[in-house]
Amino acid sequence: MEWRLLVKRWKEGWGEPRYQEYVVDADPDTSVLDALEKAWLGDRSLVFEHACHHGVCGACGMVINGAERLACITRLGDVAVGRTVVVEPLRGFPVVSDLAVDKSRMFRASAEVSPATLEPAPGRGAEGIPGRAAVRPEKLLDCLECGICYSACPIARTMENYMGPGALALASKTLELTGDWGRVAPALERRGVWSCHAAFECSVRCPTGFDPGGLIMVLRGRALRRGGVG
Amino acid sequence: MYASGSLMPYPRVVVIGGGVTGAAAAYDLAQRGMRVTLLERGSIGSGTSGRTHGLLHSGCRYVGDTEVARECYLENMTLRRIAPFLVEKNGGLFVAVTEEDLGYLDEFLEGCGRAGIPVRQLDPREALRLEPELNPGLKAAVAVPDGTFDPLKVIYSFLASARRYGAEARPYSEVTGIEVRGGRAVAVEVYDKVSMRRYRLETDFVVNAAGPWAAGVAALAGVEVPVRPSPGVMVAFEGRLGNMVFNRLNPPSDGDIVIHQRGVSVAGTTSWLVDDPDGVEAPRSHVELIVRRAAEMAPRAAELPVRAVYVSSRPLLGAAGGSGRGVSRSFEVYDHEYDGVAGFATVAGGKFTTARLMAEKLGDLVSEKLGVDAASRTAEEPLTPYWLYF
Repeated sequence: MEWRLLVKRWKEGWGEPRYQEYVVDADPDTSVLDALEKAWLGDRSLVFEHACHHGVCGACGMVINGAERLACITRLGDVAVGRTVVVEPLRGFPVVSDLAVDKSRMFRASAEVSPATLEPAPGRGAEGIPGRAAVRPEKLLDCLECGICYSACPIARTMENYMGPGALALASKTLELTGDWGRVAPALERRGVWSCHAAFECSVRCPTGFDPGGLIMVLRGRALRRGGVG
Repeated sequence: MYASGSLMPYPRVVVIGGGVTGAAAAYDLAQRGMRVTLLERGSIGSGTSGRTHGLLHSGCRYVGDTEVARECYLENMTLRRIAPFLVEKNGGLFVAVTEEDLGYLDEFLEGCGRAGIPVRQLDPREALRLEPELNPGLKAAVAVPDGTFDPLKVIYSFLASARRYGAEARPYSEVTGIEVRGGRAVAVEVYDKVSMRRYRLETDFVVNAAGPWAAGVAALAGVEVPVRPSPGVMVAFEGRLGNMVFNRLNPPSDGDIVIHQRGVSVAGTTSWLVDDPDGVEAPRSHVELIVRRAAEMAPRAAELPVRAVYVSSRPLLGAAGGSGRGVSRSFEVYDHEYDGVAGFATVAGGKFTTARLMAEKLGDLVSEKLGVDAASRTAEEPLTPYWLYF
């Protein structure tokens, strides 16, 4: 069946973005990302970011019919309104081209705290297995660094130097896992956890349930109990 | 000869392809001093590499070819060492669920021994204690040093490392031509999809790291390379069925793996051959087969909601027909001087796990050709974390 993708496009030198229509033939359970790839087969100038196609890499965060989602795990049939799907780039980041945005602000904020990346996993698996250094099983943190929380956050969209929900949530998790207050010191500055207005849009939109808003509150609470609020 | 302290500017190299092979190649070449520009037609990792299931191969799947298996195992250990923060180091299990599987056990253990891969046979009850989602009727289990990595962040970490040595990556930049003059590649034509500009980039060497698209890129210089795209289907489930990678104890076949990363488990894969890796769709029969086979190892796979179905095309070497399973999974570096185009090489084949080694072998060739006196150090130096790429 046919679907109408309305894609917000912008290229260097264009004064204003414009919406371009692509008609694609697909099943309702086709992902928005696969539909975009079908559109791209006919228009190789269409730019969008994607990699894993199963919701674990965070590359394809987009605004789909008004809400931030990962295009690869969003099905056409679940979001289309009368067979139409509007696809726009994430907010809160500069647009590079079409649907691709520059997420540097998020990664630079993360870099300030050198975030932890792994946490203990539930279960026993892996005890005493060859090639395994640690005893406990581990898993990568659920935060994909997709940038969806920055797009959803009213503060990140308006306060340029705010570290943002993703980086602050990673800082909170890093403290939980390492106990290293020095490492998370930047997150306790004014442009860190104290600038959050607790809108919790980040947690509502987070595609993996990492709950950035909740983690920011945890870090705030720990900092308050520890004293020395700066 | 270019060497450390040399007053001559080091040669320029263009790397075509922003997957793991291109990123690792950019790193290896830049670390040796060359001035590298990487060109990728889409976003970084948007081709095959980003779409891998993320299995850090122990090599045990390839014990049919001792060299390939050993190479895989050694690179597995290297990646753990240079990027431990991107690997779930939980090991893996090869499990027998039928009598037929059991019949492969001795051959499998011998193969692992020949390749020097440390494995340990577990009592099935112990395997079930470690991984309770496994089929309770399992007949044998062998623990192996598998792992799971985050593909895109490994690629960006290679690029962050490359950038530390001055390399530049340009995504959304499609190479539309390779200029050959006097039997030598001297420039590439680039279509920049950000500025919508076409430009010419002069270079001293061109590296084709375009994976399953390599034949098309080589053709731009009038050269043939025997790389065939071989797609495979993968099914991602909502939910994580375990920590250790589940491998079916049998010779390589369809649907013999379930891996876990973050909150999901992914089952795969199948294998066939196509001419063009773009626009390949997952046949429904493959999805059904993969779910059924996954459930033979971990019964609950049949009950979990499907999160995504996707297709990734491997770059297989050789022009063999059939399913692609028989085609070598090792890699090659092709020096196209032998094809009449000097200053041009293709690095193809291999696995994500062996990308660093592929880049090292490529770097050896390019260094020799360009007179750069520097050895690869990518196996020793830790990777720069991906967040420093941005």
